[in-house]
Amino acid sequence: MTDRLLVVENLRTTFRTVSGVIPAVGGVSFDLGANETLGIVGESGSGKTVLARTIMGLQPRTNIEVSGSVLLNGQQVVGASERVMREMWATQVAMVFQDPMTSLNPVMRIGRQIDETLRVRLGMDRRAARARAIELLNMVGIPSAEARYRAFPTELSGGMRQRVVIATALACSPKLLIADEPTTGLDVTIQSQILNLLDSLKQQLDMSVILITHDLGVVATRTSRIIVMYAGQIVEMGATRDIFHHHRMRYTRALLDSSPKVANPSHTRLAVIPGRPPNLSTLPPGCHFAPRCAFATEQCHRERPTLQAADSPGHVFACWNPLAASTNEGDSTR
Amino acid sequence: MSDVIDEPTVLTPLRGKRLGPLFWVCVGWLALNVLAAILANFLPLIDPLFQNYNVINAGPSLHHLLGTDDLGRDILSRIVFGSRVSLAVGSGAMLIGFGVGMPLGMLAAYRRGRFDSILTAVMYVLLAFPAIIAVIAVISFWTPRTLLKIIIVIGLASVPLVYRVIRGATLAVATKDYVIAAQVQGCTDRRILFRELLPNIAPIAVSFLLIGVATVVTLEGALAFLGLSVNPPTPSWGNMINESRTVMAQNPWLVIFPSLALCLFLLCLNFIGDRLRSYFDVTEVKL
Amino acid sequence: MLKYMVRRLVMLVGIVFVISVGSFYLIHLLPGDPATVILGTGASPANRAILYKQLGLNKPIIEQYFIWIGNVLHGNLGTSFISQTSVASTIRTAFPIDLELIILSQVLAFAAAIPLAMRSARKPNGFLDRVLSAGSFTLLSIPPFIIIVLLVLFISIKLGVNNTGPSSFVPFTSDWVINLESLSLPAFTLAIASFVVYFRILRSDMIATLQEEFITMARSKGLSRRRIMWRHAFRPSSVALLGTAGVNIGGLLAGSFVVQYLLGIPGLGYTLIAGIASSDYLLVQGIVLVVSVGVVLINFFFDFIISLVDPRISRE
Repeated sequence: MTDRLLVVENLRTTFRTVSGVIPAVGGVSFDLGANETLGIVGESGSGKTVLARTIMGLQPRTNIEVSGSVLLNGQQVVGASERVMREMWATQVAMVFQDPMTSLNPVMRIGRQIDETLRVRLGMDRRAARARAIELLNMVGIPSAEARYRAFPTELSGGMRQRVVIATALACSPKLLIADEPTTGLDVTIQSQILNLLDSLKQQLDMSVILITHDLGVVATRTSRIIVMYAGQIVEMGATRDIFHHHRMRYTRALLDSSPKVANPSHTRLAVIPGRPPNLSTLPPGCHFAPRCAFATEQCHRERPTLQAADSPGHVFACWNPLAASTNEGDSTR
Repeated sequence: MSDVIDEPTVLTPLRGKRLGPLFWVCVGWLALNVLAAILANFLPLIDPLFQNYNVINAGPSLHHLLGTDDLGRDILSRIVFGSRVSLAVGSGAMLIGFGVGMPLGMLAAYRRGRFDSILTAVMYVLLAFPAIIAVIAVISFWTPRTLLKIIIVIGLASVPLVYRVIRGATLAVATKDYVIAAQVQGCTDRRILFRELLPNIAPIAVSFLLIGVATVVTLEGALAFLGLSVNPPTPSWGNMINESRTVMAQNPWLVIFPSLALCLFLLCLNFIGDRLRSYFDVTEVKL
Repeated sequence: MLKYMVRRLVMLVGIVFVISVGSFYLIHLLPGDPATVILGTGASPANRAILYKQLGLNKPIIEQYFIWIGNVLHGNLGTSFISQTSVASTIRTAFPIDLELIILSQVLAFAAAIPLAMRSARKPNGFLDRVLSAGSFTLLSIPPFIIIVLLVLFISIKLGVNNTGPSSFVPFTSDWVINLESLSLPAFTLAIASFVVYFRILRSDMIATLQEEFITMARSKGLSRRRIMWRHAFRPSSVALLGTAGVNIGGLLAGSFVVQYLLGIPGLGYTLIAGIASSDYLLVQGIVLVVSVGVVLINFFFDFIISLVDPRISRE
């Protein structure tokens, strides 16, 4: 396992807030190889974003406790100082933020925002950095990059801004790119453009990608493996094929049922998952999903299930009353 | 899309929202000031105008708790009676400022239209005029000078500011859905103004009122310092400081005690205003 | 950008016009005959006649305004009946002193407020932040006229530092060392008053900015904390600071009358108070006009700076 790019073991991130202690990430383990794309899927509040930021060591340090281990290219991230992390950010790991409206500095020309990384981290001179920045802008598909180099973020559309954010993240050729809901703030028509761009850049630049989303449709064709998160924990993990066609966990099934599919006849009613994600500060003793699960048994309410292996290698799930193996082709016609 | 867990508010303090003991100390001190000013005639104080030439420029003693001035007058008594001027100007001017500015601001923001645009344009031009200088000019040429005239001039000068704050605050509320819902239901304008708008802008209005009183009291102090407030020998905190400048080398207490009274008063006002603002989540930008 | 500035300029001209009307009619707002207000009750008929001619008081009021504004635009603010000197030249002598006071106090205030607010905002509720916030809050409640009195009491009187007390002012051109010494206490007083305001505004805006997503993004680029603070957080946080500075500096243009009055520094504020004391109406009117226009120009200038600092503003 030591040759893996990223090894996460029993990672916990806990917030101490006015309203109590919140285990936003509650003991997560997984790993990621070079040049692999991993999808992390879950509803809002499932801890995806916190997980991503903890892996990057980007969480603020006040009132937050992180334990466990995150080895990124052999370097421990948990407990590392900002100084140590600074050396890894941009060159080892970079992030594409969720909302391009707020993640670019509104009073800085976009060229400067890309330049700056190149000059500070790679020691390029002004001219070289400028040339490289324009090259990056071209690469992410921004037309007339030379002119846009001097634009302010407010002068660009949301999709264009997200391309700038991607260009900035890629500036120092990171080995791992974490894209946190990179398309949530964008128009539907722009979404697939951005995702395809990320896909092709990954091939070009030979890097690993973690793609975080609440939309299973986004990760279906673009990832090799998928992690399904619920209430801060992994509830199912496996190869993309296995997750879509041989899922065992009831929550995964519910998620699949609730996302629209082209194959459905028109006017098909979408299934909804009843109830709401649990309040993390008062988690039930049993399976976190049990209160919303139609198939919950008494054991589900009493005892917390741990991850167990399914048939295929690397496919694990946490459920007392799982779906039967290999019969659950993902249709939602009921 | 983002909720508590995805975007944790880690900067909120661990303790909950409270006004705190210091807040109540300040309220107590202000209440004491107000009570003393109202009841000054009934308190066992020496006449503030009585000149006792046997004790001139005396330091604090049992008989004169805060000492005496260069004419042998009791400083404690003069501070208590002097507070009447500050309180009268502070509350009187703000009564006028809010009495005129608040209804205008609320109506303008609620009605919008031509009434709003004309009034707002006028107020913004008035705001461009340096108010302090206008106040000084008018007060100095409008003779003979009386406390009432000072209150009127400062009060009127504060109207544009009050108008701007109240209009801004009302505007933010008036476009909210529940106000529109009340309109659609056919509530009377009066009911909407008093039941829907007023309670919602009250926190901002109260915070601004406290800041306003502090500002006006400071202004009165400065005017008195220039000899443009009530005429001596009537004491006010400002003219006590002004009169004692000439003898402050011999008797620094004369300057220090009224200064302290004024600063404590302002500190309490500011502190209460600040606490209320954070308690009601009013950002400073809105003021 | 250009459109924004043109619109502001049109507004500026409008406001200046209204101010000129206001200053002119100031006299008619006061009760009594303008000639009596200007000359006092004991004026000789000869003087009244001169005044009527100079101001055109027997002509219609609109015409009076145009006569007056015509003179003003030629730099003629009238001749004081009290001192028999040209109001314009009196203002010209006084103004450089205000300018010097403003520059000295603002340099001091910004030099202290900016670094301290940045340090404070880095750790909100940390030790330094608590000390500075409490300190600035206390200073906020001490009016400048008390600060200057206490400074004079302790520094010029008790410590006996030379050239800092009342009436020690000399013009910059005759002895700049003594000039600076004599302006040190008033400049410091005004600096404290400005510092408190600047510190509190910049601190709270910095704290808000540092929670923005683009700061997290800047961190994730591996930039140094110093760079993030100054290059990324400072500029977007300084808009309110600049707006307040504009208002504040405008207020100092004649608002420093208290310190000038106490120390006998013959700036605009002092001249204004002296004019009021001697009922020199034309001098007061001239100063009110000049200062009001100055305030508007200063605000216009700061609006311009703000639109350079934050490109979002001129685009709205």
